[in-house]
Amino acid sequence: MAVPPSYYLLLSAALFCIGVAGVLTRQNALLFLMSVELMLNAANVNFVYFSQFWGNVTGQTFSLFVIALAAAEVAIGIGIVLVLYRNFDGVDVTEATTMRW
Amino acid sequence: MTSRPRPKIGPHLLPAVAAVALFAVMAAAVLTSSFGPAQGFPADANVVASIGRAMFGLPGAEVAGESFLVAFEIVDLVLVAALAGAVLLARREEGGSTVALLADGGRRLVGRDQGDDD
Repeated sequence: MAVPPSYYLLLSAALFCIGVAGVLTRQNALLFLMSVELMLNAANVNFVYFSQFWGNVTGQTFSLFVIALAAAEVAIGIGIVLVLYRNFDGVDVTEATTMRW
Repeated sequence: MTSRPRPKIGPHLLPAVAAVALFAVMAAAVLTSSFGPAQGFPADANVVASIGRAMFGLPGAEVAGESFLVAFEIVDLVLVAALAGAVLLARREEGGSTVALLADGGRRLVGRDQGDDD
């Protein structure tokens, strides 16, 4: 007996919405980046499930690219958090609100 | 005596309600839609080899998939750019303005003459 598609889609939607909630409410920049990763992994779950649903390997291959792009984006994100820490003595995103004038 | 960190509950959590509403909308869309039967992969097909062949555009895959060769090359470029960008961002500038003087490898240089013993 196969798992019905709605289970996978609900899991993916729940992960994505938890990520959205984290992005909207998090004060720590590193936890903000973790929430972005959650959203990307929710999309990955979707891709992999539908690859199995259609019997096509395109979904799994594309999810490999999504993982690689998430890694690249996190590398740059952590570089930005480093510069944020050096300039604002903390990783609080609510403190770094205005540009230098 | 130290106390464990407590979660801060306050009005700043209000945007999370929007995320819950988004989940409600997506769940409604998922539960009211019907899907056909799932066509899984053939039982003895080599899926990993098919992924490899699909990624590089090679023929002869056991499971069908489109060619991702151009995407592979572009992601290669993006990863190299991200690597160079991360190294550039993590570079520390010597001297210059006092904004960069707040911490030096964890040691606070600003409070050094205020009696902190390090």
